[in-house]
Amino acid sequence: MADRAAPDFRGLAVRGLVIAPGASAITQTIAPGEIVGLAGLDGHGQELFLKMLAGLTSPLGGSIELGASGASRKITGFRKAVASGIAYLPRDRRANGIFPTQSVLDNFAVSTLSRDTRLCLISPAARKARYDLYREKLSIVAPRPDAPITTLSGGNQQKVLLARALALEPAILLLNDPTRGVDVATRHVLYDVFRGLAADGMGLVILSSEIEEILLLCQRVLVFRENEVAAEISGEAMTTDSVISAMFGHAA
Amino acid sequence: MSPLTRLLSLGRSVGFAVVLLAVLFAVNLILRPARFQPGSWGALIGLAAPLIGAAIASTPVILAGRGGIDISVGPLMGFVNAVVIQMFFLKAGISSPLLLVPAALLIGALVGAANGFLATVVRIQPIVATLGTYLILTGVTLTILPAPIGPAPAWLKALAGPWSMLPLLLMFLAWWLVRRLPYYDQLMAVGSDDRAAYTAGVDVTRVRFIAYVMTGILGGCAGLMLTALIGSADPNIGPTYTLIAIAAVALGGVSLAGGRGGVAGAAIGAIDIFLLQSVLTTFNVSTFVLQIAYGGILVLAVMLTALQERLAVRGR
Amino acid sequence: MTGRNLFATTNARVVGAFCVAALLHLAGTILIPGYSSPFAVRAMLVLASLLAVASIGQTLVVIMGGIDLSIPFVIGFANVVAAQLYGDGWNFVLVCGLVGVLAILIGGLNGLIARSLDIQPLIVTLGIGMVVQGLVLLWTAGFPSGSAPQAVSSFVSIGGSAGPLPVPWLVPSLVVLAALVVLVLERTPYGRRLYALGSNPGAAPLALIDPVRMWMITYAASAFFAAVAGVLLLGFTGSAYGDVGQPYLFQTIAAVVVGGAALVGGRGSYLGTIAGVLVLTEINTLLIGLGFQPSAVQAALGLIIVLLVSLYGRERHVSTTI
Repeated sequence: MADRAAPDFRGLAVRGLVIAPGASAITQTIAPGEIVGLAGLDGHGQELFLKMLAGLTSPLGGSIELGASGASRKITGFRKAVASGIAYLPRDRRANGIFPTQSVLDNFAVSTLSRDTRLCLISPAARKARYDLYREKLSIVAPRPDAPITTLSGGNQQKVLLARALALEPAILLLNDPTRGVDVATRHVLYDVFRGLAADGMGLVILSSEIEEILLLCQRVLVFRENEVAAEISGEAMTTDSVISAMFGHAA
Repeated sequence: MSPLTRLLSLGRSVGFAVVLLAVLFAVNLILRPARFQPGSWGALIGLAAPLIGAAIASTPVILAGRGGIDISVGPLMGFVNAVVIQMFFLKAGISSPLLLVPAALLIGALVGAANGFLATVVRIQPIVATLGTYLILTGVTLTILPAPIGPAPAWLKALAGPWSMLPLLLMFLAWWLVRRLPYYDQLMAVGSDDRAAYTAGVDVTRVRFIAYVMTGILGGCAGLMLTALIGSADPNIGPTYTLIAIAAVALGGVSLAGGRGGVAGAAIGAIDIFLLQSVLTTFNVSTFVLQIAYGGILVLAVMLTALQERLAVRGR
Repeated sequence: MTGRNLFATTNARVVGAFCVAALLHLAGTILIPGYSSPFAVRAMLVLASLLAVASIGQTLVVIMGGIDLSIPFVIGFANVVAAQLYGDGWNFVLVCGLVGVLAILIGGLNGLIARSLDIQPLIVTLGIGMVVQGLVLLWTAGFPSGSAPQAVSSFVSIGGSAGPLPVPWLVPSLVVLAALVVLVLERTPYGRRLYALGSNPGAAPLALIDPVRMWMITYAASAFFAAVAGVLLLGFTGSAYGDVGQPYLFQTIAAVVVGGAALVGGRGSYLGTIAGVLVLTEINTLLIGLGFQPSAVQAALGLIIVLLVSLYGRERHVSTTI
């Protein structure tokens, strides 16, 4: 999985990114193996920032590049982002995530269909083998992978969607509130998975509406206020109080 | 500003159908001054009335959203036409408008209720449910009336010319009254987002059912207007209004996704199509060219409406 | 895996439709002498095969969450253009190639306009269909001429035979074609993307599915198979007729829906459509055999479609979709 996060991968470089008219530019680097949190009150730009990293929304200024030693790749659109090694897990599972009438396997493989084809036809065995890899890794509980995904619990649906994103073998994983509507036990499984991915050299950006989650997972957090990074907090200084006061615009 | 963007911005302020209406009317006035002199407007309205009626009738179910559509409006008009003339007037000898009008509206209401029952209670996809009704009504109409027959009662024939304004005005009046009811807000809410409406406590099934009944009643009225125009009974004319009425509704800016538009737009869309027919027949073109123009204008109109909405969104 | 998935989700409806077709056939055999005679069965198979070809496109489009009202117009277009050009002395293979390419362009345009501008496909396909039919009428001045080559006629002829089989080549060809369509839907990336797009259009772009491209391809395929049906009908009826496709407007939709597809997309299968086609053909033959007038047959057909769909084609209540 860490294929693309090979030694020459030098992270995601954000230079002078303007996400709203009049807002000051954002310059950041997401390093390999790092977990960066995004926090802020709803609608203060953190989601916009994440979507721009994914190439889903075009920025008003600045650039986003995925750095590798040979050539760096500019992110100009969603397909470009995915091709460069960025995967995005959407926030609203129902609206933008699952295909409700389709099976667990279909939902898992939909972004990476061509990897299972033999002479233009999908090999069910290859697909199942690929799925089993992630099922084990994410401990997905799906007694019948050929049943519709809606037969699974919310947490397991989310794991299938995460498996879909990981199947792209990304160097950078963007997570938009990944534990929303997920039970506590599954959350901790996901946390372990995220830490493991980072340890393997993947860079993770996690937008979360729960500060505890960010404190638990991230090395540093970008707190957004009025479409700007109001504060960047890391290490010891990262506490519930400091993040909340930054969210509300008080000096930390 | 290119002509296209100018047209689009004008369309945004008053609606594309209205711009088209003005343009087509002016063209007609220039090309056929005799036919379009004010004195003959009444006769013209009479010619256009059944199509306008059919478009108005098609509107409520479309407003109700989630694929709501009634493709049985045309056959319903033909059915009312056949039953009123063949069964009530010629066979039973009933000629009083006090009996025939309520009978026609009642037939419409019953057919509408049947459609509504199938589409909202049984929950068959509306296009399939009304396709079933379409086939049933067309078949039954041809069974009770295998060939055209006449005449119609004198009072009904008198509704053909300028007097065709009367049923149209009554339709508008009825819709104006509906707009004053809380039901109208519920209809539009269900049409734009039925889940939100349901969560807010609106009885979605009931609201949609009533929309089908309204469409049926208005369709019954349109059937009488058709009868007035042709002055007889003809089993083959009704169904031809089906698709053209839906085209008129779409042309008039009613979103087929529901929740946006109204009967005024639908009526204007219908008049557009009528005027377009008139322009094209002036050039003495064959019905083939007429059909090409129909289809072309229809596609172009919905494309312009969509583009104009995009511009409006971007301008916001 | 996919086979079992199909089994679990749509199989009940498909089996149901096949059972209804079988029951109808049984009823016909009991009620009408000669209903199961070799000739009658052959005639039904040919009629069903023609409808099945015309319904391929509708199946794909409906799975994707669209609808194609241009099918009857494209059928008429192919029917008339093929006859006319062949009558003018063109090579028939060339004629078929040209008609096929034009149909693909028409369909691609349908998909492009409907998806890229987000317009109801109902209106777009209707409008484009009317333009196509008008152009054909204009070209032929309303009086199409010409006929099909003998090869096409014998390919679809009720009296024809395919080697040792007592049916024309159309029927075994359809079986092969059906297997291919099922294979494409179940086992190719295109097929899986088609279901996904119909199932949740909002999630499709994030799963690397290009909706505009999918709509163009699928509507092009729909128009192509409509054109094939148009050429086959030319062989079947012997002469060109612009309105030959009109019965197929509602019949293709009815076949797809009776076969268990949902017009909101994401559900359905070509096997189900075949079952729907058989049901419709049986109903038609049965009612005509019972001596009903065409008008009464139509009414009964409407009634039966509504009854069948209310048995197993019901949608979910809004409260269950929140």
